[in-house]
Amino acid sequence: MSNQLHSPWRVMAHYVCLCLLAIACLMPIWVMISTSFKDDIVIFDGKPIWFFFVPTMDNYEYIVGRGKFDRYLVNSVIVAVVSTFLTLLLGGLCAYALARAEFKGRRFVANATLLVRMVPPAVLAVPAFAMVIFLNVNNDLLVLIFFYTALNLPFAIWLLFGFYKQIPVELEEAAIVDGASPLQVFFRVLLPLMKSGYAVAGIFTFRIAWNEFILALLLTGRNTRTLPVAASGFLTDTGVEWGRIMAMGTLIVIPPLLFTFFAARQIIAGMTAGAVKG
Amino acid sequence: MAATDRTEVPARDYRVVTPYLFIAPAVLVMFAGLAFPVLQSLYLSFYDWKIGTPLKSAEYVGLDNYIRLISDPDVRESLWVTIRFGLWTISIEMFLGIALALLLEKPIRGASVFRTIFILPLMVSPVVVGLIWRYLFDARVGWVNYYLGTWFGIEPQVWLGDAELAFFAIVLTDIWQWTPFIFIIVIAGLQALPSEVLEASHVDGANWWQQIFLVKLPMISSILVIALLMRLIDVFRALEVMYIMTGGGPGRATELMSLHIYNRAFDAQLLGYASAIAVLLIAIVFVISISILLIGNPMKDKSDV
Amino acid sequence: MSKKWISTTLASAALVLASSTALANPYEKYKDTTIVVSWPALSHFAKAETLIEEFTEETGIEVEVDALQYLKLRDRQILEMSKREGEYDVVSWVVMWKGEYVSKGLLTPLSQFFTNGALVDPQYDIDDIADAYLQNGGIVGGKKGYMPGKSGAMYGVPFGAETSIMAYRKDIFEEQGITPPATYDELRAAMAKLKEAGIPALTSRGKTGHQVTAGWLLHLAPLGGKIFDDEWNPVFNNAAGVEAAQVMREIAQTGPNGIASFGFGEAAAAFLGGDAAMYIDTLKIAAMARDPKLSKVDGKVGYALHPTGTRCGSETGGFAMGIPANSLNKEAAFLFVQYMTSKAGDKRMVELGGDPIRMSTYKHFQSEFDEYPVILDQLPCADADWRPLIPEWNELNIDVLGQALTQVITTDEPIQPIMDAAAEKARAIMEREGYYAWANYRK
Repeated sequence: MSNQLHSPWRVMAHYVCLCLLAIACLMPIWVMISTSFKDDIVIFDGKPIWFFFVPTMDNYEYIVGRGKFDRYLVNSVIVAVVSTFLTLLLGGLCAYALARAEFKGRRFVANATLLVRMVPPAVLAVPAFAMVIFLNVNNDLLVLIFFYTALNLPFAIWLLFGFYKQIPVELEEAAIVDGASPLQVFFRVLLPLMKSGYAVAGIFTFRIAWNEFILALLLTGRNTRTLPVAASGFLTDTGVEWGRIMAMGTLIVIPPLLFTFFAARQIIAGMTAGAVKG
Repeated sequence: MAATDRTEVPARDYRVVTPYLFIAPAVLVMFAGLAFPVLQSLYLSFYDWKIGTPLKSAEYVGLDNYIRLISDPDVRESLWVTIRFGLWTISIEMFLGIALALLLEKPIRGASVFRTIFILPLMVSPVVVGLIWRYLFDARVGWVNYYLGTWFGIEPQVWLGDAELAFFAIVLTDIWQWTPFIFIIVIAGLQALPSEVLEASHVDGANWWQQIFLVKLPMISSILVIALLMRLIDVFRALEVMYIMTGGGPGRATELMSLHIYNRAFDAQLLGYASAIAVLLIAIVFVISISILLIGNPMKDKSDV
Repeated sequence: MSKKWISTTLASAALVLASSTALANPYEKYKDTTIVVSWPALSHFAKAETLIEEFTEETGIEVEVDALQYLKLRDRQILEMSKREGEYDVVSWVVMWKGEYVSKGLLTPLSQFFTNGALVDPQYDIDDIADAYLQNGGIVGGKKGYMPGKSGAMYGVPFGAETSIMAYRKDIFEEQGITPPATYDELRAAMAKLKEAGIPALTSRGKTGHQVTAGWLLHLAPLGGKIFDDEWNPVFNNAAGVEAAQVMREIAQTGPNGIASFGFGEAAAAFLGGDAAMYIDTLKIAAMARDPKLSKVDGKVGYALHPTGTRCGSETGGFAMGIPANSLNKEAAFLFVQYMTSKAGDKRMVELGGDPIRMSTYKHFQSEFDEYPVILDQLPCADADWRPLIPEWNELNIDVLGQALTQVITTDEPIQPIMDAAAEKARAIMEREGYYAWANYRK
């Protein structure tokens, strides 16, 4: 195990490999961020400039100052936060019951949950469209929240299920003996122990809801667009406004990037939970 | 919580009623938001529903949409594009991801920093991924053309306007975004291997290659299969990156199944027919999903533990 | 809270009193109404935003614009118009959607406003609007369902409508000793010559779907082709249709790099950026060429008629504005449409850098802009039957022709079989939609 590590060449080669990989991962993201600070003349000159250009805030001023950027931002935040909250609440309850209780139909619910997780969002497009017209819903954000919650629940349940299984049953039994109701057990005893589980599930749910595009494109109107839909609006017919698009892209990517930097370990835990722990 | 009084039932009933109350909201939402739309797709696939007209006025056409589906070269082409896309991306991603994980599995200083960087592509919104790569592949101002021109003297190519090149572009984009996923899963699997087994094989005189192919890979094979199937499902779900980069074109060269359904439904306005294609897609995805469940149902396993 | 409520009630009561006693102007009644307009994010419409501000200032009617990429408009508009209460009070459609919108009952016939003396401006003079534009963008009914005739009715007013002309680079033509081609033979010779000199010749749209079909249609009619004959049999695979496809292929081979990925914007940008010597498409190019933000070729551009093949023919297309059936502010919406397309509004649009729809405006400015005399000559050739604007056109346009023509311009395969296969698909669609039912019945 250890003899190989002592060879300095191996260590060096190891780092070089890692650095190359890291550059490959970062390069496109840096292209986006740097382009967002360039003016059109630099961009349309066609010669890539990695670092040394005169940065400008024009693109950001344009997208923030004009149109309804603030509204779209608020929409995105509302949709992502509310659907994440609902997913964690409903998914947590469901996962708890699946992990702890024996009841008729448990197996069916568990399997069905895993099965519906795979439903492609494109399949939802036509029925969602039909639903909006048929029910005459006039609140697009509510519709989005509903579908994002539905899309996220299976994965959240799956993930939280695993975390609940790791908590010893004795803790709850002690609480029940002390006369706590099931909901009290859930909220007072289990929730504090489940913090990291909920963090992982929350990050994944938020990411999906924040990034989702196709349903939002279809279902949102002029006041209810989310940021990804607004970003695609810069692919206009009078030419693609790369600087503004990249500025929009950078703004959209900020929350997921923050999550990555502060909770990389949880994200990896969530990602590997499906394959490795299974 | 308003539901508190309702669930304060005698302790004996706890295990009878409460679980249902706990799962009911989530099950309802999942049914209405996922299962019902699937059923509705099935229903709509028997109708000729035109966008902008009331659902009530849709005409029942029986199996017409399915008959058309069977002989439709466009659907076949899109299915073929999806399969080709899956073969290329998944095999390259698996190869790269596994190779890199084997090379770099030894814990070293700064590993967490690198891992943080490696998950970045996964966190970027698919729309933004599409926008970035569309810029890089742009025929006039794209960086790819610039470097190919200055380093190799290659004429500027119209990456997203040529069938083969556009396909290559979306494959490359997918590899950029998803190789880290395989890498991270494999490395987690490798590091979870019991060290006694590895040391034993080392003592037995297995060399590096033998250790990899006879010990390590077989031991993580179920992880690999699940990762592969999960990626396969993703291929059938993918549409945003292609929607932004090429819109499915040129022709249908980059129109994966999901995007094909979307384009058929909303560009060509064939809602009923698109629903029939959606039913086909659901069938394919469910077959893959069931194989995942058979190989390793995470919930079943854990409840048995 | 209640105090505020009382004061606003009083104020509005006073307003009602004031307006009912003295209708100072036809706009008074709709003051402070907000109407929402859905239209494309194109140059002409961006310029129109200034005129909107003037409209609001003059009338007190607030206007909110929702500008989208033009091919994305339809989904949005149809969804809004199929709801019981939609968001939009004015929608601007590409002419090819009008048949569909009307057949689905989504639009308000404009006759109900033109018969309302309180709304209609006596000086509006609808006959001044270029005939081809009005017929193509606004009239639904008639013999084929999308042409004027006794059974036709008006649903929209052209705004941002267009015909096609040719724009070329005077400097390049002079340098290469080329005269502006008047016929398709001359055009093809010029393309070959420019290619030989290493200059990208003619730019064109070519992106899969609507765009490549629009590019091909520009050559179909002048070369004598048509989509359907009078019995709705697809005939675009005849000699003229194949020749038009051949021209498209040559354009892609001799034009700027990337035609197969060009939409409307990219095709124009190639000409405006100096990457192509010719442009045959909408007259909107001229106003764009004068806009320093879009163009590097201002002052170097000459205009000529759309080349003729076996006949003179030029595109009719672009946009028209109308009022959704589910709008709640129809009268105010009509006042807006009328204002934007009035004689004064039309002239103002030209001053702002947009394109006119009225003959009087073209004549008024004909000595000022190079392209206006050309357009005045071109308009008699403008073919209101440019493409079949039936509801099925969408599927034909995108799914059938849009795919076949991509194959034409991106491969070297023989063209005839490609077009024959497309014609078969077109026939199947028409069959499915019952277009041959009467003919079969009569047999």
